[in-house]
Amino acid sequence: MASSLRQALLIIIAAAVLAVATNSFSPNRIPWVGSWPSISGSDSIIVPPSYEEGDPPFISLDDAAAKYQSRGVVFIDARLPADFAVGHIKGAVNLPFDYLDQYYESVLSEYGPSDEFVIYCSGEECELSLHLGRYMMTKGFSKVFVFFGGWREWEKARLPVSAES
Amino acid sequence: MNRKFLDNDYMTLIVRLVVGGIFIYASLDKIATPAQFARIVYNYHLLPSSLINIFALVLPWVELICGIFLIVGFKQKGSILILNLLVLTFIVALTINLFRGVNIECGCFTVSSKAKSSIIDFLLRDIGLLALTLYLLISRSRRFAVAASDR
Repeated sequence: MASSLRQALLIIIAAAVLAVATNSFSPNRIPWVGSWPSISGSDSIIVPPSYEEGDPPFISLDDAAAKYQSRGVVFIDARLPADFAVGHIKGAVNLPFDYLDQYYESVLSEYGPSDEFVIYCSGEECELSLHLGRYMMTKGFSKVFVFFGGWREWEKARLPVSAES
Repeated sequence: MNRKFLDNDYMTLIVRLVVGGIFIYASLDKIATPAQFARIVYNYHLLPSSLINIFALVLPWVELICGIFLIVGFKQKGSILILNLLVLTFIVALTINLFRGVNIECGCFTVSSKAKSSIIDFLLRDIGLLALTLYLLISRSRRFAVAASDR
């Protein structure tokens, strides 16, 4: 029994070392301590009536939180800069759909078609995220997701937020 | 069942290959896509938020190492102990969520959410797996191992 335990401990240490090694270099690496919604049952996907065939896929709060763990997934806030300044998902970039022409080039020029995006706006009543998602897909971005629960759901779940712009 | 039957070298080898193969296969998808697996771990609602990612990152490597060790016959006692505890943990985690009434994604073999099935199916599968790992715990066969003295 003692030798079993010793072997088991060795195996777990080896696994931890390999996990550290891969998670330091993998393109899919995630933070060791992540942020997850503090409310449960956020698994449902909210989809607006205006959803059409071919629109970017909609994701739930849980999915958004999972994608948030992945480095390399870009969160885009489609609301007005004034709303963005009050509070937004930490690390998100602001691309207000109402001022698309003004912002589009400067925000998206550094990304390519293989990059992954999660777009959100304030919540269920706001369709800016859907419109921006549709527009980005016409521009050749294929990995575009709409998190329709938006800012309100994110904030309610006490996930990381930021107020500076 | 008598001892001779339990300690049969070939039977033990076959069970080792099957269980080892299952765990190696189960680990690969999780290692490749840690964020999706972490989301599944989160969905079990059993671990505090701060431990979810650590668990999701290390567990698949434990599965992979134990699976390989079991097949080649190295540090088998430790591997078999871990695998028994793991399967027991899976069964407990699934049972808790069965009684909570939530149908969670298993995250057993794939992180794809398309692989929907019921908790009962996962439980039955894990109980079958537990039978195999318990057998390995009992069997005293020492053959077909790179390090026979390990057992």
